[in-house]
Amino acid sequence: MSSQVSTSADKPRTALVGRLSSWLEPLALLAPAGVWLGLLLVIPVLLIFQLSLVPGIRPGQVVNPSGIENYLQIVQEPIYLRVVLRSLMFALGTTLICLVLGFPVAYLIALVVPKQWRNLLLVGFVLPLWTSSLLRSYAWITILRPTGVLNTFLKAVGLPAIDILNRPPAVFIGMSYSLLPYMVLILYASLEKLDRRLLEAAADLGANPFQAFWRVTVPQSLPGIAAGCLLVFITGLGDFIDPELLGGASSMTMARLIYNQFLGVTRNWGFGSALSMVIILAVSLAIALLLKYGDRSSANL
Amino acid sequence: MPRSLLWSSRRQFLTGSLTALSGTLLSGCGWTLAEVRQDAPKVGDRNELRIYTWSNYIDQVLLEEFIGQTGVRVIADTYDSNDVMLGTFQAGGRGSIYSIVYPSDYAVAKMIDLKLLAELDKSRIVGLENILAKFQNSQYDPGNRFHVPISWGTTGLIYNSEKLDPPPDDWDYLWQHQDKLSRRMTLLSEPREVMGASLRSLGFSYNATDPGELKQAYARLAELKPAIATFTTDAWRDQLLAGDLWLAMGYSIDAVLVAQENPKLKYVVPKSGSSLWVDTLVIPANAPNPEAAYAWINYMLQPAVASQVTERLLFATPNAAAYDQLSTQLRDDETLFPPDSVIERCENLEPLPQKAEEMIEKYWTQLTSG
Amino acid sequence: MTPTRSSLNPIVLLQVGFILLMFGFMYLPILVLAVFSFNESPYSAGWKGFTLQWYQRFFADARILSALSDSLVIAILAVAIAAVIGTLMAVGLAKYRFPGKGLYQSITYLPLIIPDISIAVATLVFLASIAIPLSGGLIQLSLSTVVAAHVVFCISYIALVVSTRMTNLNPHLEEAALDLGATPTQAFVKVLLPELAPAILSGCLLAFVLSMDDFLIASFTAGGGTNTLPMEIFSRIRRGVQPDINALSVVLILVSGLLFGLAESIRYQSERRRRGD
Repeated sequence: MSSQVSTSADKPRTALVGRLSSWLEPLALLAPAGVWLGLLLVIPVLLIFQLSLVPGIRPGQVVNPSGIENYLQIVQEPIYLRVVLRSLMFALGTTLICLVLGFPVAYLIALVVPKQWRNLLLVGFVLPLWTSSLLRSYAWITILRPTGVLNTFLKAVGLPAIDILNRPPAVFIGMSYSLLPYMVLILYASLEKLDRRLLEAAADLGANPFQAFWRVTVPQSLPGIAAGCLLVFITGLGDFIDPELLGGASSMTMARLIYNQFLGVTRNWGFGSALSMVIILAVSLAIALLLKYGDRSSANL
Repeated sequence: MPRSLLWSSRRQFLTGSLTALSGTLLSGCGWTLAEVRQDAPKVGDRNELRIYTWSNYIDQVLLEEFIGQTGVRVIADTYDSNDVMLGTFQAGGRGSIYSIVYPSDYAVAKMIDLKLLAELDKSRIVGLENILAKFQNSQYDPGNRFHVPISWGTTGLIYNSEKLDPPPDDWDYLWQHQDKLSRRMTLLSEPREVMGASLRSLGFSYNATDPGELKQAYARLAELKPAIATFTTDAWRDQLLAGDLWLAMGYSIDAVLVAQENPKLKYVVPKSGSSLWVDTLVIPANAPNPEAAYAWINYMLQPAVASQVTERLLFATPNAAAYDQLSTQLRDDETLFPPDSVIERCENLEPLPQKAEEMIEKYWTQLTSG
Repeated sequence: MTPTRSSLNPIVLLQVGFILLMFGFMYLPILVLAVFSFNESPYSAGWKGFTLQWYQRFFADARILSALSDSLVIAILAVAIAAVIGTLMAVGLAKYRFPGKGLYQSITYLPLIIPDISIAVATLVFLASIAIPLSGGLIQLSLSTVVAAHVVFCISYIALVVSTRMTNLNPHLEEAALDLGATPTQAFVKVLLPELAPAILSGCLLAFVLSMDDFLIASFTAGGGTNTLPMEIFSRIRRGVQPDINALSVVLILVSGLLFGLAESIRYQSERRRRGD
């Protein structure tokens, strides 16, 4: 993938045309995407940063960045702080659940199951990902509501009903369900590349399977684990649909609060922008942590 | 996918973002955040009328008869709270396509304040004289210059009489039976109604503006909050019918609707009083198709149309001529047309001063975010 | 359990059981939707008899069909634009080194990382603060603003898939074509594009599905006349239990299953061809 520039200069063309075309081609290739993303992504993110510095702004008002009241409001009002913490809790909890459930699945598919079944099983496992995310949450409403599938089943076998719809457990279930396939995909990719000879060597050296697992498999798949956790955490942090549809009145999250600031009952674009910036910052922080962590783990190897 | 995260080097990313950030900070401030609303009226299709309404005021038959009478095709979008409707008009540019909207009383006042409404040309409206006298001159829009009332009713509690014994009779019931009703009840997603109910249970007015009273009302609601499943205006109907809920705060006309499907669902107007509301027809300023909007108003005012749609969709018409054409069974339905003794206990929601509005908004955010 | 297959058996059983349980977890909601789409009772979780009425109601529902057509138009336009721009970008990134490339690249992959809600907010703020005032009201929230917003993340996904293919590509192919006298455009169209086609196509399918599924970005950027399928589904779910949504989900699941099969077979075939190279 060396640059095309040098090769085109060798060609029997006039230097001017050569230089012009050497500029033209990369420009034609890269400019459209650059302009599009710059206009609709980079500038907007900078704009919401500026907007987040204006307390209480609504459409039609002049933007005059004056201070960090919006951010202070998030930290100082216990209610909003609780919303932020709740969002983090949902994201972290979901990450943990996905890791605990997803690692064995990825491990079994990548290393235990006969080779000819692997692709089929993996594809089969992530297939639900291709269905509408709204409808997946909707299905969980049908299952979890007080007279829903789950409680009808529990009643039939003589167990007490459980009431979790419109409460945090339902949000955890919905979010874990939505994000588990991502976790499995990433862990599978990392486990598949595992150097099996190391496992054999460990066995030869007298390690029992558990030791081999903790000393060889887990360390080798750490980058995959970190990447999977990061993706689940980030997606979970910004998830709107599951908390909104399954969480009821008592699980307001940052994404729901942002939605309300722009489209819902209370309209305060400045505050909504500040909340968006908090999400973006949290995401950047998570990525930075991963990069740092990734560096160290690669240095250790 | 996440591998992509690792592709970019961290340092480049960080320096890049830092440069960009300092760039904006230095760049000029003082730009105006635009109203996302359309300014110029769009020349709409003359044969198309877009209506923005509560979900229970229209059905296919009504729309088809209107095409038959006028040749105008109606596209109806629905909303489930006045705030959502107001939001549509304030930001998002979505409001500008509608020529008819169905706001409630205090929302009409808000929309007049925000200059969102067109004054009605009464000479183009036929049948206004049939509207009952008590709806002819409203507090929220003196002289009814901007609206035509289309339906009215009370707010109350709809409950499953099989599950709740003793049955609820007042707002206090919610707090007294909080444990039993835990996550088996919903409240409306209307800040004024919910705050009002709490105010009323404390003996204050729905239209209280005193900060102390509002604060008490909020504190009482915060106490009830853990037991509330959701705040919803519509979704409780199916959940109540399915048995997922035992009690819902709702409007009288919705109560009639669910009671028809399941007679065990009963409606009560709380003893200490409740709100009396009116839903209306208005034409937004700069409506794309005012001709069709007037045609719709005139159509809805025809006694035959009004009485038939009332029979089908079960809402309370304020149209005396239409009322006379209703079946006696409906006319005697005390949920739909509450007797004067009930109306006397109830209050209209009045437009509030800015300060009280903001307090209610703040409390509502706290209540729904907590 | 026969004693001959002794010691491994409990572990194997446990493993099989766990895998089955997890597959059950993944497919339970879909199964529930499918079963209830044929259930006569709209509310009850019990079986009240077989019916096709929800399907009839769904196919006769003008609102859902118009929302579906809005969604399709948006997805097709966004994917078409993003396919061109994203492919060009992936090729450009593979071929050139330039100052600021790292920044450019990280911006490219930003939409994969930033949560939808932030992208939605950013786009709305951009429209409200720059696009609408500068165009003098010419640009308004509408179907095309949704398309513009969807192009952003479609570019990223398509470019990601195409880039992966580019790294596996023989870099001398295009040079060879140039040496044989082809113009750069000819070399691009005749040599590079056919090689990239499967990757572009599977990237497009991925982007298409994501665009069809997007609720947040569309609801922030759609104008009054636009109502996408996810927006319609959301407002219906909010209104309560609606059995015709079950029918809709079954239809959608079948369609996306079909699309997924298509994407997988394209990927599989291109991989086989690559191995054959």
